[in-house]
Amino acid sequence: MTSAPPPPPAPATPPAPPGPPAPPKAPSARELRRRFEDALTRGLGHITTRALGPYQTAVVRIGFAFTWLCFLLRELPHRHELYGPDGPWSFDLGKRLISETDAFTLLMWSRSDFWFELVYLLAVAAAVMMLLGWRTRTASVLFMVGVLSLQNRSIFMGDGGDNVIHLMATYLVVTRCGQVWSLDARRARRQAERAAAEPGAPAPPDRVGAVLWAVTGAALAAATVLGHLSWGWALIFWGLWVAHAVWWAVRRARSDEPRTVCDVLANLVHNAGLFVIMAQVCFIYATAGWYKVQGTRWQDGTAVYYPLKLDYFTPWPGLADMMASNGTMIMLLGYGTVIVQVAFPFTLFNRRLKNVLLTIMIIDHASIAVIMGLPFFSAAMISADLVFLPTIFLVWAGAKVTGLKNLLLGRLPGTDPPGRQPPDAAAADPAIPAQAGTPDAHADAHRA
Amino acid sequence: MESRQPDESRAGIPDGGGATGPETGPADPAAEAAEPQAAPRPALGIAGLSSLSRIIVALAIAVLVALVTVQLGAGFLHVAPANTLSKKHDETIDRIVFPEFEQNWRLFAPNPLQTNIHVEVRAQLEMPDGGTEETGWVDLTAMDHENIRGNPAPSHTVQNELRRGWDYWTDTHDEDNRAISDRADLAEDYVKRIVMRRLGPVLNEGRVEKIQLRQTSRRIAPPPWSDEQWDTAPVYRELPWWIVTGGDLMESDREVWEESAQ
Repeated sequence: MTSAPPPPPAPATPPAPPGPPAPPKAPSARELRRRFEDALTRGLGHITTRALGPYQTAVVRIGFAFTWLCFLLRELPHRHELYGPDGPWSFDLGKRLISETDAFTLLMWSRSDFWFELVYLLAVAAAVMMLLGWRTRTASVLFMVGVLSLQNRSIFMGDGGDNVIHLMATYLVVTRCGQVWSLDARRARRQAERAAAEPGAPAPPDRVGAVLWAVTGAALAAATVLGHLSWGWALIFWGLWVAHAVWWAVRRARSDEPRTVCDVLANLVHNAGLFVIMAQVCFIYATAGWYKVQGTRWQDGTAVYYPLKLDYFTPWPGLADMMASNGTMIMLLGYGTVIVQVAFPFTLFNRRLKNVLLTIMIIDHASIAVIMGLPFFSAAMISADLVFLPTIFLVWAGAKVTGLKNLLLGRLPGTDPPGRQPPDAAAADPAIPAQAGTPDAHADAHRA
Repeated sequence: MESRQPDESRAGIPDGGGATGPETGPADPAAEAAEPQAAPRPALGIAGLSSLSRIIVALAIAVLVALVTVQLGAGFLHVAPANTLSKKHDETIDRIVFPEFEQNWRLFAPNPLQTNIHVEVRAQLEMPDGGTEETGWVDLTAMDHENIRGNPAPSHTVQNELRRGWDYWTDTHDEDNRAISDRADLAEDYVKRIVMRRLGPVLNEGRVEKIQLRQTSRRIAPPPWSDEQWDTAPVYRELPWWIVTGGDLMESDREVWEESAQ
């Protein structure tokens, strides 16, 4: 909030010392209270009128959807062994465990193979929807259902990467993660353009939304009637379903007020979710770092050596042996890892330092992907890191992707594709930077 | 609480470079463009709302602050070492965290694993002539490694299945292979199914009647630059023989297995 110019009624912001006549050192109690109230008003305005971090939440959405989609496609030949009713963690074993843990999974609703294939397909479809940002609010719920259904079915098949996907899939449900770089954003933009071109024309009816709402409602009703949902999950799903109807209604209401209230509530929930996502990433690094500090192997600087000798995590033994042979490098890597992980949460208060550490961590995870043969774990961790990327960088990257896309499609920047894109073309274009192409975004990018 | 997100405000991007205060966002085309989802933006922030609406918003803020505090508080105590607070509230914490928010980030900490653990199996076969035969030890973990080597994206079936299944078994049993958890039988059934899937129902024309597992631990040799020394000879741990039942086999295997009984 430091660089944002103060709103008109608050000329005295803390960092700017008043003019030449030196003021009394301690501001009066009344002055302090006024400042406090101003800050509170500003903060409230911030969290109620805007869903913060539109680019950050979008890139996290794209990152996790992409990671999970790639994982599902990679495991397609192994899907039965991992999550199927006749896998090693059989339907009966799953049932015995879940009767105690009450974890949520559609796969426990039936032991039929057909049902399993259907749920796997649903998980893939939801990941595609989420990636493209098509009906994002519905997609995020289906995405969570897909992730939870598969992972909770066989909890012993997963690793840290699955764990972080599980958590983020849940948190993303409460965020407005389709504000930019999504088909939703593109549709909204086109609608706005149409409305500007012919003012007064009624908004076209949202048929797809209505169908989606009806289908999910029917599915939910069936699940409820068949007694598959615990009351907690029923409350959540029905609540979300009703919220969609309310949202639809207030957008068509004659009065502005209900719409404003709903928008404020959605922003608040989004901002809370974003905060939880950021805190979650800090938990991950803080835990990983602080527990390492206590380990003798991390202290004596040999810790990194051992994983390079574990057969489960050395797909390229030659590469691992080469790294393991250099004692100084092993020690520096080990100490560096601990320092970065422990320090990261604290560097959030210093933008420049945070960006340096973020870069190191992303490179670190990218190398783990290759050296240890953990591409999905690494991709999940990097996706989580992305929430801390600076907006300026994201906008710049988005503009680059748009430029690249236009180059590939032989289009001039700024021109819209003729007519509607076929779904295939849209699918090949996961990160449509809805915003990066606008003049404002460019202006902002250049200003940096 | 959103002050934790410094990029946003300092870069000054999404709210049109901060030229307008957040309360006047809607008139600003930049803000309009940045948040297209809520296309018809509200004319005013909470300032323009009726008192009823303001009460609703205030309540929502209170509820969200409470929820976030509880969620993050429980999450923190869940990942932190056992301490005064977490011991006092462990039931509450578990109720919030399990089953959907469980997490463990002690990755390679406090110390990385320093042993290559292999799971080996041998089987007792009932031969067609009525006699019994015993196979040699088959190294199942080595098969996993074979699959991992040179593979840029190893499947969870080779990287996690046996490794984590075996961890689960050793976590639920003591040194003398006695169950120390309510879920020990689950772990045993799971490991049997993993092993039998790889072994198959019939070997050398003999029906698999019993299996025995053995854990072979080889400590990783100390780094060449270190003056530490320790024994790297394999350490074995043999489990008792387990009787194979139809429930330990995949459906297709079970048919073969049952047919070979005659």
